[in-house]
Amino acid sequence: MENIKRPSGIINRNFFLHIHANRVHVHSMKPTSTFGLGIILGFLFLIMLLTGVILMIYYTPSVETAYQSVKDIVNVVPGGRIIRNMHRWASQGMVIVVFLHLLRVFYTGSYLGGRSLNWVIGVVLLIIILLSNFSGYLLPWDQLAYWAVTIGSNIAASARELTDLLGITNAFDPGGFLKKLLIGGESVGQPALSRFFTLHVIFLPLSMLILLGIHFWRIRKDGGLSRPVRYADDKGSTNKWYAWPVLMWTELGLFLLVVVVVLFIALLADAPLLEQANPSFPENPAKSPWYFLGIQELVSYSAFAGGLLIPVLYLVFLFSIPYRDKEDSYVGLWFSGKSGLKVIKRSAAFAFLLVILQLFVMIRFGWLRDWFPGISQWFVMLINPATITGGLFILMSEVIRRKRQSSRMAALALFTSTFVALVIFTIIGIWFRGPNWEFFWSHNQWPVI
Amino acid sequence: MERRSFIGKAAISLVTFAGAVAAISYLRQFFPRLAGEKRRIALGDPRRFPVDTFTFLEEHKLYVYRDHEGIKTVSAICTHLGCILEKSIDGFECPCHGSCYNNEGEVQSGPAPRDLAWYSVRRGADGKIVINPGERVSSDEKFLSS
Repeated sequence: MENIKRPSGIINRNFFLHIHANRVHVHSMKPTSTFGLGIILGFLFLIMLLTGVILMIYYTPSVETAYQSVKDIVNVVPGGRIIRNMHRWASQGMVIVVFLHLLRVFYTGSYLGGRSLNWVIGVVLLIIILLSNFSGYLLPWDQLAYWAVTIGSNIAASARELTDLLGITNAFDPGGFLKKLLIGGESVGQPALSRFFTLHVIFLPLSMLILLGIHFWRIRKDGGLSRPVRYADDKGSTNKWYAWPVLMWTELGLFLLVVVVVLFIALLADAPLLEQANPSFPENPAKSPWYFLGIQELVSYSAFAGGLLIPVLYLVFLFSIPYRDKEDSYVGLWFSGKSGLKVIKRSAAFAFLLVILQLFVMIRFGWLRDWFPGISQWFVMLINPATITGGLFILMSEVIRRKRQSSRMAALALFTSTFVALVIFTIIGIWFRGPNWEFFWSHNQWPVI
Repeated sequence: MERRSFIGKAAISLVTFAGAVAAISYLRQFFPRLAGEKRRIALGDPRRFPVDTFTFLEEHKLYVYRDHEGIKTVSAICTHLGCILEKSIDGFECPCHGSCYNNEGEVQSGPAPRDLAWYSVRRGADGKIVINPGERVSSDEKFLSS
């Protein structure tokens, strides 16, 4: 009895043990159950907060002085370059790890078993991380910043593409409304910088902090991390370990590892800073940060379909997963076993072939406007690789739902295929698009401008 | 209705109403009143523009075209996502997503949803030539300068 009483005495005084359950299941402690991705995200966020506060002290959010103040941070402030590098690389790390975390949670079916609310909070956190990255991009006020946000704000306004076709923009203009809210004007300037600064340093981090608290708390509330059904009613003490000290040491070790990795990268690689923003001349090609290049590729087909319609549908899909699929027997099981793995492999192959085929046709033979000059914008907007891909994926997942009588298999198919497509579009955007967004096999073939 | 319940309901409606007004006024602050985007632009002496050429007016994001008959101006902002167009041999090209327009500003290829906007060029009341970005004209309308 002695050694059971002791830890519970600590619980009341210890913050660590308020986040975690008193005892944690063995399955949750296995590295391959989670790869520690969620907690790594938490640590990266901590690094973002700590480095962000220092950057905020030296940065001035004004069109005239923002660029110079960032230069000062890099060249004058002692250690400023390392702090800025850490901030930049940790933020990119968050984008990578949050997607890995999404993959882990989805493929282990961890939204099942009454965990739907935490899944939804997780998707909101994903959006906040992307928005934080995007708003942070404008602050240095260099060429990349200016044109990325010009493009981004016009994507927000791209509902006009639809309202223009319907001829109702003068009466009903949600695109213009959204753009005005985002950048406070017709083009990116001081109001946009002030707004993005406020978003970046107050609104988004605060929202993230609150939601992160709920996200962690819900894990405990939902009965710990997801685990396979065979462990469901595991009350036996042999399968549960004391969180203190086993989990504490694991997490501390992971924290040190994250700090070391970020510090190491920050010492080796400098965060980019281009020339000061020039509203008259975009870079050619004007590329957004790499993790938005998949969207930029879609946008190059149609602003509305690629920038708004498909991404919004994707988010709706992500949010709806735990409400459409309630097959709790798959909880905590990587890839839902053999049959799930088969569905994943097949839908990945289907997605790969479909996207590559369309890209091949588009790059080799052009698209609608090259074949039928003067074609209506309706066709350009509604028939392009973005919408065709999305439509066929939804169709495929519905076929699988009917055939296999399983909502989990349908979700696996749709999630896998959309993710494969996202990765391919992003790779195309990063490495295979050059000046005027034309296709090039390699950077070496870019024409000299 | 009893007096007590009437007062209770009245109080709740009043508080709700006041809250709604406060919320709307608060949220209204996020949408600034915009002015000045459509201000007229002084063109200056038309003879400063080379003949049969599109000249880029950097600060106004416009191209000015002048030939022996007259002068006209077209927006240099891509209708797709707002990048600044470059002049190509037979039209305009967008560096961001590759939309192409011809010399009349009509979309030839790429994702651009609309043709480019041509703005009216007039002689103002004080005799100076001005561009009015608030007034759209067709691509073949020219200000006859000579």
